Amino acid sequence: MRKTIFSILTALAFCCSVFAQDARQRTVETIVQDVLAAMPAQNNSDYCAQMADLAQAAPASVEKLASMLKPADAGANNLVEYAISGVTRYATDPANEAVKANVKAGLENAAAACRDKYNKQFLEAQLRLMTPYEDTFDERLRATYPLEEAKALAKSDESKDQCKALWLYVEDMGEKSEKKILSALRSDDRAVRTTALLAYEDLADDDFYAKVAKMYRKLSPEAKADVLYWLGEKDVHSQLDLVLSALNAGGELGANAIEAAGRLGGRKAAETLFAMVGGRYTDEVVEALKYIDVDLSDMVAEALDGAEGRRCEALLALASAKANKKAAPVVLLHAVSNDKDVAEAAAAALAGVVSPADFEAVALLYDKSLLKNAEDLEKALMVTISPLSDEAKFNKVRTYIDKARNPERFYNALAAAGTDEAVAYLNEKYEAGSSKALDALSTIRNIKVAPVLLGVADRNQDYIKRFVDIVDANVTDLGRKCEDYCQALEKAKSPEALNYVLEALGWVPVQRAFVVLGGYLDNPAAVRTAAEGVKRIAAKNAAELDYFQLNEILGKAAEYYEGTGNADDGYAADEIKTILENAVPVEIFQLSDEEKKQGFEVLFDGTDLSKWVGDKVGYQVVNGCIDVTASYGNARNLYTEKEYTDFVFRFEFCFLKEGVNNGVGIRTPMGVDAAYHGMCEVQVLDHDAPIYADLRPYQVHGSVYGIVPAKRIVHKPLGEWSTMEIRVVGDKVKVTVNGEVINDADVRKATQGHNVAPDGGDHNPYTVDGRNHPGMFNKKGHVGFLGHGSGLKYRNVRILDLSVRK
Amino acid sequence: MDNSRRSFLKKAGLGAAAFTILPRNVFGKMGGDNNFVAPSDQLTKGLIGCGGIGRSSNHFTSDQRCRLVALCDVDSSHLAKARELAKTKFNETMTEYHDFRDLIHDPNVDIVHIATPPHWHGLMSVEAANAGKDIFCEKPMTRTIGEGKRVREAVKRNGRIFRLNTWFRFKDTFYGLGTTVEPLKKLVDSGLLGWPLTVRISGATGFAWKFFWTGKENLVPQPIPAELDYDMWLGPAPYKPYNRHRTHDTFRGYWDYDGGGLGDMGQHYIDPVQYILGKDNDYPIKVEIDAPQQHPDAIGIWRTITYTYADGCKIILEGEGFESQGKVPYIEGPLGKVFKGFECTIPNVQEVINELPDPEPQNTDWIDCVHNRRKFALNEDNGFHSCTIVNMGICAHRLGRTLHFDPKTKLFINDDAANQLIDQPMRGNWKI
Repeated sequence: MRKTIFSILTALAFCCSVFAQDARQRTVETIVQDVLAAMPAQNNSDYCAQMADLAQAAPASVEKLASMLKPADAGANNLVEYAISGVTRYATDPANEAVKANVKAGLENAAAACRDKYNKQFLEAQLRLMTPYEDTFDERLRATYPLEEAKALAKSDESKDQCKALWLYVEDMGEKSEKKILSALRSDDRAVRTTALLAYEDLADDDFYAKVAKMYRKLSPEAKADVLYWLGEKDVHSQLDLVLSALNAGGELGANAIEAAGRLGGRKAAETLFAMVGGRYTDEVVEALKYIDVDLSDMVAEALDGAEGRRCEALLALASAKANKKAAPVVLLHAVSNDKDVAEAAAAALAGVVSPADFEAVALLYDKSLLKNAEDLEKALMVTISPLSDEAKFNKVRTYIDKARNPERFYNALAAAGTDEAVAYLNEKYEAGSSKALDALSTIRNIKVAPVLLGVADRNQDYIKRFVDIVDANVTDLGRKCEDYCQALEKAKSPEALNYVLEALGWVPVQRAFVVLGGYLDNPAAVRTAAEGVKRIAAKNAAELDYFQLNEILGKAAEYYEGTGNADDGYAADEIKTILENAVPVEIFQLSDEEKKQGFEVLFDGTDLSKWVGDKVGYQVVNGCIDVTASYGNARNLYTEKEYTDFVFRFEFCFLKEGVNNGVGIRTPMGVDAAYHGMCEVQVLDHDAPIYADLRPYQVHGSVYGIVPAKRIVHKPLGEWSTMEIRVVGDKVKVTVNGEVINDADVRKATQGHNVAPDGGDHNPYTVDGRNHPGMFNKKGHVGFLGHGSGLKYRNVRILDLSVRK
Repeated sequence: MDNSRRSFLKKAGLGAAAFTILPRNVFGKMGGDNNFVAPSDQLTKGLIGCGGIGRSSNHFTSDQRCRLVALCDVDSSHLAKARELAKTKFNETMTEYHDFRDLIHDPNVDIVHIATPPHWHGLMSVEAANAGKDIFCEKPMTRTIGEGKRVREAVKRNGRIFRLNTWFRFKDTFYGLGTTVEPLKKLVDSGLLGWPLTVRISGATGFAWKFFWTGKENLVPQPIPAELDYDMWLGPAPYKPYNRHRTHDTFRGYWDYDGGGLGDMGQHYIDPVQYILGKDNDYPIKVEIDAPQQHPDAIGIWRTITYTYADGCKIILEGEGFESQGKVPYIEGPLGKVFKGFECTIPNVQEVINELPDPEPQNTDWIDCVHNRRKFALNEDNGFHSCTIVNMGICAHRLGRTLHFDPKTKLFINDDAANQLIDQPMRGNWKI
């Protein structure tokens, strides 16, 4: 609303030519105050709105602001500085020309009245931005460098003076300086020669190049080298013949000629260079052919046929560098050459030229090869399968393995497929004792490899790093990722592995990762990684972290950063302080007067889990809530410390993501499945999620699981809180959600007293889920939250023990 | 003794010419001891600025081909640390200077290595070029477009060799991108991605904009430490009361000396993009900014900066915390996209790349370039262009508005205030 008013006003302001007074009748003082309260503006529309007000009230507003500037040691000027520099920039915007004069007048008056040196300097700097700009760069040049000076400089012994003279000649004489430039090429100072060519660059045309070519013959070899290099750099195609004439000159000149020929490119240059392959300057020529803009594949493939010795090796290298597929058959031939050097060069070149059609040939060669070039051949084998789908890779390699002489050699290629089948096959071989299989396994990014790697982490800590990489690449759920990394932490023994895991953990912005990292702030080998991690998580996600732990852990990290004495670390400490300053303290839950009177006991008030036992890693206190990250499993539950018989259990819950599944265990022992071995489990489930389309009625939220279905409700949107009450008296379980009773069950009646099958079998016809519920008639037990995955928060948990009152 | 050799060379009018007797390519091919360099072919350098960068291991070097002989700093404690380092690392005693002009004019120094804060780069480069020295300058090249013009001109006029020190256009994995620049260059040159292209430099594509390089407002004046000549540290910059945060390590957060994360990392990240796009002789014609209002002294953050070239190519910078979500391409063209790690929508891209011609060679051996008077791969020309992109962004950030640039005049169009930022006045007698 406020913004709308502003923009209407702004629009009005520009419609009228005179607007001495604010449309809302505010005084200048009020306008200034309003603007100061909004400094600095966070976005452009706010900024324009504020500055339009200020500009409209100029010059008085600017003078008023400037009068508020204090000497630097006497107080804070930042808001005033924002306002003054803001209105200056606003008024210098070509779109706001109309207000410029008044703002400028304000600045001038203010600068004249200002007594403080530094504030005056600030105001004058603002005024400068309002001054019309004059570009004096070119005029200044002319003033600095008259032609007479050039003549004097040219006579100097100093290289730099002669260079400067050349520039001045070109600038003052234009094309008439050509003679001076050409004669500079005869200098024995390379700086002078190259500067001459550079200075004349913009004027040079084919005519000029021809003149250079004409005098080329008489130049020193060094000067010739400069000229040829320059022709190549400038892509002077008209002088290609001159360049080609020097290809065999040797030394610097020859090298420059070859390089220039490569840059000039074209078929003629390519063919001339190609003819030199195998000769004295092979290395240089092959280098140039790599970047020449001509397709040489036919030429190279043809030349390779029957080539021998050094020329053959050079051609092989070239074919490989240019990924010449046409050369594959002939390279394969050379790979079995009797000339060992050629055979090795061919093996090295194969990876560059092969395609899937060459798989069998390469596989055969690799299978039979001596160890010496096995590595090159394996690389080539990988290339032959790389364009294939993962399944096709697996099938091709797996089939070959059956006929291979050295099956283990193909494990890496199999691993390249990365499919579940590949993992299974290699795992089987590994378990049968093949260390090659393990090596291959460890190159796969399939998540199925992760547990294998963790299993062998004690043998080699590098597997931990690999594990982390795989989890990082495959697991997207942050809770799951955190849990996987925590598993890796248990195995990490070397400082390197430890830091690797902690580093990864520092990129998982969840409470648990934050706390785990915090635990390593006392470990000298890991403190830096841990500090960086907690800082990063807090910076990303401070609002989601527990306020108390945030203070404690970040405080420790800041202490570390302050202690290193490094400047960047000083920044880190400052950053942490800012995060802590902005953190919002947690409100502690208190019972209503009525609940107090009734005798409710608070089990969780937002601060700690001291009245609970069980999985305090999967259930963390975060900003006044119990944040559930636990996954399915009996050990992933949180129980009340005390046992209860009859009670009223009240709490609030909030789903953070779709399909969350949890539950409340009633009268249950610890460490068992409460739905069967406790009295029952009351479902907590986001049953609205599409994944639960086929849910059975006894599974919906509020159901006494497997025994009595609840009335199906529609949950509040994700992120909103609901209240829930579970009243347990005798065999009765009554569930109320957001004030509505959705289940009023009597488990004994519902099962006609048969908690287990009367015939002693596994099928119980008296329960809706057909299963035995041996714990159904428990007299007492714990109340517990039963984890089936992350994405849920509980808060304000309290209980009324009805047996006490009796 | 060294001194006399040099003065002899200078007097004999040989100067740089004396070095050129050795043919190019000869290094590394000489028989026997590869490290041997004849004393007459050995170059020398002097280091100006012995702070964090100057003393870091990649920069504080001395070897057979180029010996470190002189140091300069206006903070005596930095100078002392560098003196110690030279002693322990090279077992050498350096000539020490307080005033950079004395180091530049030292006849024993061939190459001037500038490792000061950016507000000095332009002035020192021009001074060194006019003194006939070759220049190795840390990024960014200059902190204004105007200073860049003058450096370029001085280097050319004096026939000097200039290296701007960032290197991704010719070596190393390009930050978090997970690939070198070469295959990207080949792919773009091939036209397989189509045209025009959009390049996104963002946390999402592997680049951190280092927003911790922000300044502080309301700095309270502090006593100037005895070891620091603050007036000389400021040099051409406006005199403002001393506060430690303005100087060593944290100067990057103030407009007077640098340009925040963009000023610090911009040329690192943008120069290779200019190379990939083949824009070494071109400039963007428009820069758009999305940022909070900026303080006139302390640099703050920004959300996005978008550059547009006349042919429609774009470079988009995404600030820390304002990255595009999801899978974001580094380069996007009408026919294909390239992601981090050279992942590409073009099937079998690696093979496709292999068959393409390599990019033309670049001159990447700095010492070789000095000996043979060849332009270094990143020099006063292409370095000026990429630094201008950075400085255009800084101007837009300071002013908080879209700016239009005329590549011919190298001025902003119809915006006096923006053009005032192209040429900024220098304090007192300092002149460039």
